[in-house]
Amino acid sequence: MAASLRYLCRAGRQLVRGGLLKTHTFPGPLTAPRHRATQAAAQVVLNVPETKVTTLENGLRVASEDSGLPTCTVGLWIDAGSRYENERNNGTAHFLEHMAFKGTRKRSQLDLELEIENMGAHLNAYTSREQTVYYAKAFSKDLPRAVEILADIIQNSTLGEAEIERERGVILREMQEVETNLQEVVFDYLHATAYQETALGRTILGPTENIKTINRADLVEYITLHYKGPRIVLAAAGGVSHDELIELARYHFGKLPARFKGEAPALPPCKFTGSEIRVRDDKMPLAHIAVAVEAVGWSHPDTIPLMVANTLIGNWDRSYGGGVVRICFNHRLQNLFVFFFFFFFFLPFFLKCPYHTDPLAQMACQGNLCHSFQSFNTCYTDTGLWGLYMVCEPATISDMLHFTQQEWMSLCTTVTENEVARAKNLLKTNMLLHLDGSTPICEDIGRQMLCYSRRIPLHELEARIDAINAQTIKDVCTKYIYNKPPAIAAVGPIEQLPDYNRIQSGMYWLKP
Amino acid sequence: MNGWYDYTAKLLNTTQTIVNIVKIQSESKYYCEVKYGIAAYRQYSCGGGYPSVSLSTPLPGIPKPVFASVNGQEKYETKITTLENGLTVASQNKFGQFCTVGVLINSGSRHEAKYPSGIAHFLEKLAFSSTAQYGSKDEILLTLEKHGGICDCQTSRDTTMYAVSAEVKGLDTVVSLLSDAVLQPRLLDEEIEMARMAVRFELEDLNMRPDPEPLLTEMIHAAAFRGNTVGLPRFCPPQNLEKVDRTLLHTYLRSYYCPERMVLAGVGIEHEQLVACARKYLLGVTPVWGAGTPANVDKSVAQYTGGIIKTEKDMSDVSLGPTPIPELTHIMIGLESCSFLEDDFIPFAVLNMMMGGGGSFSAGGPGKGMFTRLYLNVLNRHHWMYNATSYHHSYEDSGLLCIHASADPRQVREMVEIITREFIQMSSVAGELERAKTQLKSMLMMNLESRPVIFEDVGRQVLATGRRKLPHELCQLISSVTASDIRRVTTRMLRSKPAVAALGDLTELPSYDDIQAALSSKDGRLPRTYRLFR
Repeated sequence: MAASLRYLCRAGRQLVRGGLLKTHTFPGPLTAPRHRATQAAAQVVLNVPETKVTTLENGLRVASEDSGLPTCTVGLWIDAGSRYENERNNGTAHFLEHMAFKGTRKRSQLDLELEIENMGAHLNAYTSREQTVYYAKAFSKDLPRAVEILADIIQNSTLGEAEIERERGVILREMQEVETNLQEVVFDYLHATAYQETALGRTILGPTENIKTINRADLVEYITLHYKGPRIVLAAAGGVSHDELIELARYHFGKLPARFKGEAPALPPCKFTGSEIRVRDDKMPLAHIAVAVEAVGWSHPDTIPLMVANTLIGNWDRSYGGGVVRICFNHRLQNLFVFFFFFFFFLPFFLKCPYHTDPLAQMACQGNLCHSFQSFNTCYTDTGLWGLYMVCEPATISDMLHFTQQEWMSLCTTVTENEVARAKNLLKTNMLLHLDGSTPICEDIGRQMLCYSRRIPLHELEARIDAINAQTIKDVCTKYIYNKPPAIAAVGPIEQLPDYNRIQSGMYWLKP
Repeated sequence: MNGWYDYTAKLLNTTQTIVNIVKIQSESKYYCEVKYGIAAYRQYSCGGGYPSVSLSTPLPGIPKPVFASVNGQEKYETKITTLENGLTVASQNKFGQFCTVGVLINSGSRHEAKYPSGIAHFLEKLAFSSTAQYGSKDEILLTLEKHGGICDCQTSRDTTMYAVSAEVKGLDTVVSLLSDAVLQPRLLDEEIEMARMAVRFELEDLNMRPDPEPLLTEMIHAAAFRGNTVGLPRFCPPQNLEKVDRTLLHTYLRSYYCPERMVLAGVGIEHEQLVACARKYLLGVTPVWGAGTPANVDKSVAQYTGGIIKTEKDMSDVSLGPTPIPELTHIMIGLESCSFLEDDFIPFAVLNMMMGGGGSFSAGGPGKGMFTRLYLNVLNRHHWMYNATSYHHSYEDSGLLCIHASADPRQVREMVEIITREFIQMSSVAGELERAKTQLKSMLMMNLESRPVIFEDVGRQVLATGRRKLPHELCQLISSVTASDIRRVTTRMLRSKPAVAALGDLTELPSYDDIQAALSSKDGRLPRTYRLFR
């Protein structure tokens, strides 16, 4: 009783909008069948329910996995985010997401809120650069109502002028809130420089002047242009029957248009530019720096070796105290569900501290290099960013950067089979353990349906990971990292950050 | 004994074993590729042997999966067995290929009465370091990785929890590893130094973090249970950092890490299997600190005292970045609720849900508790308030229901009065009761979707009560809460002296006596003080 009610604290508030960390999590199904390569039978038994997929007449896809729970998550994954915006209407997708809960032709805002709260359900939404997501969590018995509400808010939203005016203030306030989160600030800068002059370089919220001027016509235009059957996935997990879900989808989404008037909007091309943004502020206590190279899109086969490379670098926070691998039980940190750390990234710090020999001083030395770092691999349809985000004291920036680049170079040249084998195991573990509970599974289904038009079966994902060896990592890392121009975003007391050419010259080794 | 020796021998050769595994894997891969024809599709994009098939296309040659289907598999019951040495084994089966298994120990900061505070905090950081069998934390991780596993240790005021999530077929290794991590840690000097550093960093971060909630929780516990049990510091006080060494840790462990105070809990496994593993690895094992009789065991019952803890702190510049966070003063006011063993626990949980609240700016959509009292009566009416959130902490012998609020330092007095009035008005219940009950049930069921949460629930309940109330039993109890239950528990709670924690600029903070007077008045107002010069 103690614990169950301990968890009756407020559920973690979902990161609305950025989904920054979401893009780092790896897509993959629920549990691990250790697919044995030597297995002769052409069948493999998975102890997970099947993900069933059905396409309706208007192109809308329905995908679900029934695990028989008393609760469920159901949502709409829409292939539309800030990437489809231009300079003038940047911020519309996010604005629209905010307007979704402001009342429909059937329900006022108050009705909607009361209905959800009285059901003990949750309704939430987020916008990323390429996707807009609306989802509900509810008791399984309330699935029909949850689907009906989702259908209502995306098809019948009133978009009232008064509500639009009021929401401007809320979004501007949200913007302030985002600005206090330095990780988000740095990643927005990173996109702004890496994809300068293109759609991915713009923020999700849009600039202040757009937030102040976006009007009803912009919102309506965005809906009519993008919210079409073929670009929407209705995904569900938990206690959901696929047949029931199809019936509900037919009934509530059957009228969604299947075709585009004229040309279907094309994905705006985005170009990566090696470049940098420095925002020096010596009053800040710590420097926040992200360095990235251009990686690949979601469906590119090299994504998986890059994920392994990403795992090889790992994440670390100084309060973890050494190499702690931990499950995070705290639901407020749902997105950071699994923290992990790689000892062999840590180890070089130990060995390379030149002046200290006693363990304590070594630890102080290594502890001082940075407060935390996080390796990331953010994917979009046709491009991606692979790199490291670090938070460190002003005096250790150049050392930290130096060691980071050393590690990257060793990925390209000297990474061993042992290290790769561990990283592969850890990657599998992390992605499998992440898929626990209806919301992460539903999210995985929705995202994979948009990215790959299918849900990759678990054993296939494992087979793909298993096929990687040290040579693959060296080859793939050489292809994307070695001697490639980085994009850099740095905020804070960054006087010590070496100049761009120096950093770039750390992207290769002169081989003997 | 032989088996154990083999095991160690194997571990000593870990590196070699891995190399072998990799070799074997790559050989069989070759075999597999030829057999299933990946090779035929391979394009040598960059010289590697990696198939360049888009993720949107199924990999050719992959065997057809046979999926499991669900038919009421979530109706498993919790099975409990007590071994001869007093250790309890509890398990709950669950669909899936992973299990979460761990040892929960009735040991936490509340048991440090006869020791310097901070030992439990150190033990948390030291968990899964080198043991009798494993030469380093890295070896432990390596062993776990082979079973797709990860490990974690968490301590709270009353419980320490060592947990591993891994593939079910690695159960034997997992339990052996857990037994070793709990009972045979080496606690080397360098590991203790490492833990000391991690604790120090955590304390620094705690003070730097813009979110003061952990700090306030610590303060209000100290105020409510002054100098005893759950009022003892959960985080190691800075002056104790240097006091912790192996001898001290061993004395503590000898007192508290005994089988009668432990539960081995597992989710996603067969009970018989877990019991067999427990017999093998946790029965008749002599811990590294010897089998001496426990001394200095604190068996005191929590004494609620009430009181105030103030920390004057300059909060004008807590932002870590260029965007300023407005200066806020934080207060937390609490009253004694009840232990989770009492029947009133459920009405208190419903009451806490009914109060709800949160930040004045929070991202969530409908469902976050928009119609809870603290939103409706406080945040929606007083836009100058930044936060008003209700928390309920409950332990085996007492509990604390408290409200955290924050606002500009100049409005602290007004804020305190708003909160005291909310306490007084708690007993008048209207239509919101049903909503609060539904939300409590949904929150319970939604949290219990996840295996680590079920694990913690099984473990904690069995540790505290020797049995587990199943989710549907709890739901029934929640359903039967009535308005008169809420009135009863509120009246009961208001009889206790308030516990107050205050952090920030406290010039406008009313005196403790005034807060107490407000909470014993009819309308919750602070006594008027007529001062000539304000």
